[in-house]
Amino acid sequence: MPSILRCKCIIVGDATVGKSSIAQVFHSDSSHFPKNYTMTQGVEVLVKPVNIPETTDSVEMYIYDSAGKEIFSDLVRRFWDHPSVVIVVYDCTSETSFSSVKKWLERIRLQCPNMQIPGALVANKIDLDQRRVISPKAGKELAQSNKLEYFECSAKEMQNVDTPFFYLANEFHKLYQERVELFNSLT
Amino acid sequence: MFDVALSSAGAHIALATSSDEKHPPENMIDGKADTFWSTTGMFPQEVVIRFQTMMKITNVHICSYNSKFIIIPVYIDETDSQLQQEEIQLGEKRAYSLRLIIESGYDHFVSLHKVVVSGQAVHQ
Repeated sequence: MPSILRCKCIIVGDATVGKSSIAQVFHSDSSHFPKNYTMTQGVEVLVKPVNIPETTDSVEMYIYDSAGKEIFSDLVRRFWDHPSVVIVVYDCTSETSFSSVKKWLERIRLQCPNMQIPGALVANKIDLDQRRVISPKAGKELAQSNKLEYFECSAKEMQNVDTPFFYLANEFHKLYQERVELFNSLT
Repeated sequence: MFDVALSSAGAHIALATSSDEKHPPENMIDGKADTFWSTTGMFPQEVVIRFQTMMKITNVHICSYNSKFIIIPVYIDETDSQLQQEEIQLGEKRAYSLRLIIESGYDHFVSLHKVVVSGQAVHQ
C-alpha cells in the first residue's frame, strides 16, 4: 500500500493576477481555463493527487485558492492555519502585484513563525509579452532573497502551470522523509 | 492496573486519519517506544483505540513528538529532539474505546510512539 501525504497548498497574491485560473487549470489537467473573470470571495478549495516520481507515494494537494481583494483579507486568513506549502502569484504585466509579493509572504509567515514552509513564486500571464514589465531576472532575484523557487507560466496558454505544484509536492514529500528519519532517531 | 491499550491485550486501532504503511497506527499499541505512528500532513489528526471490552481507565500516558494538543486539548511545551511524555489523569472513566485528537503540531508531521492506557476490565 502506498502512502498518501496530505498537503495544504495556499495560493496568494493580488486580485486579478490569475490565482484561480492557475488553480483551475492545474486541477482540470489543463482542460479548463475560466474565460470570464469571477472574483473569488473568501477561499475556494480544490483537491488533486500528485504522484511522486520513483516512489509509490502520492501527495494529495488541498489547494486553498484565496481571495486577493483586500476586503477579504481578514476572512481568508482564518483559513490559513497550518499551511504546508505556499504559492505566491504575481502578474508580470503589473508592477503593483509584483511589489505586493512581500506583503503576502509576510502575512503567511506571520501565520506560522518557526515553521519551514516550501514556497514557489509564480509569474503569470507571460503570454502578454508586449506588456511585460517585470523581467524574469527581477522575479528570480525576489524569489532567491525570499527562499522561494521561481516559476513563470501562462494559465491562458496552459503553459507550465503544473510545474510549481509538482515542485511543491516533491518538496513536501522530501520534508516528510526527513521528519520520519528524525522520528526514527528519537528512540 | 494493566495497559489495556496493548494489541496483545486485545485492543486494536478502529480508526486513524493517516497511514503510511511503514509507520502504521498499530505501532502505538505494540508496547514498543521505537516504533511509531506518523501523521502524513494537515491537522487535526485523530485516532481511535478500541479495547477488548469495557474498561475502567484511570490514566493515559502518551509518548509523542511535535504534537501540540492531545485529547481534550492539553497544551504541551515544545521540546528539542526529545520525546514528549504526557500523562493524563482521567479519574475512573468507563470506556469501550479511546479517541485521541491531535489538534495541531509544531511541524507538518507528528509522531506518536506509545500510548499506554492504565485500567482494568469492568465485569458486567
